[in-house]
Amino acid sequence: MPTRMIKSIFFTRFHPEKGSRVLHQVPEGSITPSASPSALKQPLFHFPSVSDYIIPRQEFCDRLVTTCTNRYRVVGYPVCIKGEGKYYRNEFIFNFALVLDEDAADWGSYASVVRKLGRLLRALEEQGGFLSREEDLRMFEDDEDDGLSWKELGQTESQTDDDDEREDRHFNTWRSEPSGSGGKVYALCEMILEDLNNYCECMIPIVDDSNTINLKLFPTHLPPAPIFAWHVPLLTIDLSSFSSTTISSDLTLTRILPYIDGTRSVSHLSQLADTDLSLTRKAVQHLVYYGCVILLDIFHFNAIYAPTAEIYDFITDQSLQEECARYVRIPHISLAHGARDERKTLAARNVLAEDGGNEAAAVDADRYRVPKEHLVKLYTSLKQGLTLRNWVLENFELLTCVDVRRFITFGVIKGFLYRVHKYAIATSSSGVAGFEEEKRREVLMKPLEGEGRAYGSDASRELPLARYLDGLHSFDEICTELRMNERDVLERVKGFGEVQIIHR
Amino acid sequence: MPPPLPPSSTLHTILLVTKSRSLGPRLVFHYPPASPSAASLAANTPAAWYGTATSTSDDTDSTSSDWDSSTEDGAGDDEEVGSRASGSGRAGGSRSVHSHRTRLTAGGFRALEGFDEDDDGLGDDMNGDSSRKGNGIGREGKAGGRAEWETVLGFKMDALEKMLTPGKSFNKRRFELGVEGIVFVGAPMFVREDGGWKKGRRYGNKDMRTKLGQDAVDKANDSKGYDQDEGVDLDEPDSEKFVYPEGFEPGYGHGLMSGAASGAVSEAGSDTRSQSTNGSTPDMTMFNIVFVLNPPALEYQLRVKEMYDNVVRKYAKALKYEQAKFDYVWKESKKIMAMKTRAVENGDPMSLAWHKIIASSPLAKSIATIYDSISNDKIAHVHLDATFDTSFQIPQAVSTPYIPTAMEPQMPGLWLTTANIVNEDEPDLNFTQHYALLLLEDIETLVKELEGDAKDNAIAFYIRSVTPTKSLHKLSIAHSIPSQDIQYIAGHLVYWRRARLIPPLHQRDTYIVSPNADMRALKQAVSAYATRFSALPSLPEMLHKLSGPPRPYAHHIPSPDHRQVYMDILAWLMRGGWVTQLRTFAWVRVPAEIKAQVAAIMEREASMKKAAEMEATRHNEDNDSIASVGDSVLSGGETGHVKKSSLLSGNWPATPLRRSPHSEETEAMDASTILSPRLQPYRSPARPSSDAGSTSSRITTVPATSNAPVATSPQSQNHPHRPSPLHFNAAIRELSPSSSRPSAPPSIVSPTMAGPFSPSQETAVESASSKFEPSLILSPQKANEIEARWLEQICASFRDPDLREMWPTLLKYFDGKHALDDVALREGLKRKRIGALIGMIREGGWLLTVRHW
Repeated sequence: MPTRMIKSIFFTRFHPEKGSRVLHQVPEGSITPSASPSALKQPLFHFPSVSDYIIPRQEFCDRLVTTCTNRYRVVGYPVCIKGEGKYYRNEFIFNFALVLDEDAADWGSYASVVRKLGRLLRALEEQGGFLSREEDLRMFEDDEDDGLSWKELGQTESQTDDDDEREDRHFNTWRSEPSGSGGKVYALCEMILEDLNNYCECMIPIVDDSNTINLKLFPTHLPPAPIFAWHVPLLTIDLSSFSSTTISSDLTLTRILPYIDGTRSVSHLSQLADTDLSLTRKAVQHLVYYGCVILLDIFHFNAIYAPTAEIYDFITDQSLQEECARYVRIPHISLAHGARDERKTLAARNVLAEDGGNEAAAVDADRYRVPKEHLVKLYTSLKQGLTLRNWVLENFELLTCVDVRRFITFGVIKGFLYRVHKYAIATSSSGVAGFEEEKRREVLMKPLEGEGRAYGSDASRELPLARYLDGLHSFDEICTELRMNERDVLERVKGFGEVQIIHR
Repeated sequence: MPPPLPPSSTLHTILLVTKSRSLGPRLVFHYPPASPSAASLAANTPAAWYGTATSTSDDTDSTSSDWDSSTEDGAGDDEEVGSRASGSGRAGGSRSVHSHRTRLTAGGFRALEGFDEDDDGLGDDMNGDSSRKGNGIGREGKAGGRAEWETVLGFKMDALEKMLTPGKSFNKRRFELGVEGIVFVGAPMFVREDGGWKKGRRYGNKDMRTKLGQDAVDKANDSKGYDQDEGVDLDEPDSEKFVYPEGFEPGYGHGLMSGAASGAVSEAGSDTRSQSTNGSTPDMTMFNIVFVLNPPALEYQLRVKEMYDNVVRKYAKALKYEQAKFDYVWKESKKIMAMKTRAVENGDPMSLAWHKIIASSPLAKSIATIYDSISNDKIAHVHLDATFDTSFQIPQAVSTPYIPTAMEPQMPGLWLTTANIVNEDEPDLNFTQHYALLLLEDIETLVKELEGDAKDNAIAFYIRSVTPTKSLHKLSIAHSIPSQDIQYIAGHLVYWRRARLIPPLHQRDTYIVSPNADMRALKQAVSAYATRFSALPSLPEMLHKLSGPPRPYAHHIPSPDHRQVYMDILAWLMRGGWVTQLRTFAWVRVPAEIKAQVAAIMEREASMKKAAEMEATRHNEDNDSIASVGDSVLSGGETGHVKKSSLLSGNWPATPLRRSPHSEETEAMDASTILSPRLQPYRSPARPSSDAGSTSSRITTVPATSNAPVATSPQSQNHPHRPSPLHFNAAIRELSPSSSRPSAPPSIVSPTMAGPFSPSQETAVESASSKFEPSLILSPQKANEIEARWLEQICASFRDPDLREMWPTLLKYFDGKHALDDVALREGLKRKRIGALIGMIREGGWLLTVRHW
């Protein structure tokens, strides 16, 4: 979050006779001209022209009101407190507002701070007159002299049933504090401005109570995408460093966390952890929201992957390639020299061949290093219509030191590979009369019934395969939901009449 | 570049507020009459595609009641609405991530809706402090009868009226007032001090003084710096994305706003004056057209800005123009207010009254039209009066280079391509002329739309000639249409969403099913396709064909007779975003042998240079004088050695490939980095090339790469006098002129010249080649010296003379940014020839190619 976003904080109070007055402003002179030597020469904007939005009509009070003027955004939360006999004309209206740049992108986080402050000050005022108590009448004084009359009025009205001591305290407050600066409210403005601008949070104790003002700017996140059973979560941070109980009180989350490994689908996780599928999805969604997890597809060798436009970045970015080489390398096990493992032998031979055959004593680290050129070549040879299985067969030589799953995952994570999903569309069904479809459903129902039962009690699960054949459901989804493997699904689909398979 | 956001108008209501001397602030009209229904709110949420393109999710989840259905994709619209309405209540209560999302989308409005549900949404939104105080806003909204006449959006009329009539300091400025989740965006227009609505020439001399005064005021306002551009007056042209020629401005196929406006103004001048300045004190002093939006927090700035810039401001200006001319706004306002009063007296329900008002007042009708169109992300076409109509829209993204992922879903159906990303490095202003125009509607439909307007007959002719298989350039030649005209029309059609610029469709290009295709639309598309292309493979069949291993489209065309109709199918598929072109991108791959050869040559040159230099020192005096002359012209203040070389290579800056922006850097860095590459062979003798030959951080280690091969070759280690780094650079430059002209006989570089290698030297080259690793040249246009040498060496190895000639032309497309499929088009050459040449290069293994969109 950029620092020093808050240009000014000011406290405005509505005077029944004098109108809206800015009682405190930090920095001085930022809202209304000030005589203070440290004051800004010119206010940020013309206050009178927006004062109607700072102190609006009662209807607009107690809600967030923002307005834009002179390239500044004024975020305020006008509060109107009604107190019979407590205030002059029984109302106390104030606004504690922030000034930001008009085009500040994420001003929502400031808005929530203002809202919280407004409510808090309201409570403080209602409880103990936090704001009205230290009010200095001279703040309202201009050139006119009827301020005093209001003071008397206000006093007589508000203090009729109060004791003398309270009145004295009021009196002292007025005397002791110089106008415009000093006082708790002013200090509050000052501290909030400084702390939020510098640390994005603040904790301000309010001396006479046990109250504390705790504020923090929370960045706004995008709402997380819905999670489905066939998504594969992969942790981006090491949650094991936390003890699992402290991460969350969410029991589902605690249970599924140990199983998240970047290969298991949500549905698989819920089986392993014995949790409810929908709760599992929700838990994963929380992780997505906080950026702890990214979502992948179900990896298998019948899947098709192809490069996206971002492949350009991979090819031109050497550091990315190095990162990839480290990531996809098959961890070296020292039995390589024993050459018992055929794969290892191959790897060794390959490396030897690269070295021209004359460097038999190659360093171990080098031996299992994947040349960047190979990586580039491998990634660019993935294409639409080529299943991973066939691709592996085509590029067997280059893949000797490469963990294929990690290789693919790396591309998907970085966004330069995408999974080409497979969909099925029943072409005849659109034109066929409804009853025929019903009949087909019945036929399909029977073989599926068993699985459906085992799967869950939900009747909708027992719907026939037909519902998946509209081109909206990837085979990952169909397989996950029907708990069948792809080949079986394909076979069933084939028995279904005219069905087109589409990859996209 | 951020991914394009889907068009998602968050428009909620449009209000017209006026302030007059007789009546004060008045909320004249608002549309829609009632607070939007839950249905329209649900329509505002882009949840339909958010997630995967699936509709079974509901069923999958129906076992669990607390997986809120409101975030799920509704199977049908009705269900969606229902579930959202009921779901939002639950969401408000649960403090989950997921309810957060509901809040972001619909939450802002729930309080205003006055739903009788436990919504602490607004309070919960931001800080989780669930106070219910903030929720009083819309409670009255539900009360029927007279109450509906007294409140708008849950606010009392008079309160709103006061809030929405700001002071004069907001004249021509953006008026923005946020109240919790909603924002009022307005463009207040004020009457001038002199009682007129327009400043301008027409006021004669008497008014000059006032005018000047007002100008000064305006200037003062502007100089405050707030939205300068809003200070522009009506007859100044709008700042559009496209520069429209006269007659092609917004106002698609109809009378045009600014064009007509500026023309009419001068004639109407006297009119204006008599009308609006007549009574010297006009009744209405300001009007404010206010759009009420509820943008999601993260898109707030964007949505408000696009609405203001594209609709609110333009509409307000149009109204002001009409007001200046005919006292339009005030007349209409009085009419509307009178009708409202009558309706209240008669006790008519609001809906009926609104119906009548819209039927009889063009102003009210224009507001309704704008609301209906803009809130559905369509183009609003409004008729303000008999002579003036115009159009408004919020421009939409045409294409995206990104594919949707599980984490970041994207609006489906958007054209997936990198074809229309303009390369910042080389702004090719004419790039559109190589593109073809793909009409998004059928030609006849489009022509019919235009037929009402006589003066657009020319456009109709152009449109009939448009075909997606021919570039604009070719079209303009074929139909002898000036290319400027055709580009204007293209721009116009594109802006008004009637067409799209695409690389011309060609049967030899490859097309695949777009990963971003909108499969939800498949059902309708199948039947639409079937009626259009009967007796041909069905849409699913076509998609199936195009989803196998990538093949040229011609492969799918059964016979030459079918060519035309298959190209039509392709255009149809392209239009719907079902397919996208798979384009090929390439980089030059430099094999180790080339590197070794170049290194050997450079080694030899260095020693020759050494000898030449000894020679040169003898003639030092004569040379230096000339050298300094050449130097001052060519390359500023470089060292003496380089001076000499630049003299020798007098023409090198002129050759395009030679341009090395890093040369000065190189000089500066040589001294400090010269040692490091030399050390590397000793550090890991087994694989010296891993460092020396790697292309890593080529830019910063230019000297390392250029010097390393020489330094590591066995000969140089035996060299008695290690040449200074500057000598190396000099040597390289000295050679460059001859080698940079590939057609000229390359003196040293050509393969025939490899002869002079002694057998021992040749074996040395071979063994050296194992020390190099093949690498890529990422950007041939910006190749450094050693890369340029490699490229020349590659060129020299070609047998085919045509290829050798075309190599420099082709080279610039081998940067991974230009699609090879476009080369022929851009160069204006035969496709076949280019295809053959590129094929040869690929067969030689000189290219790394990758295909994407």
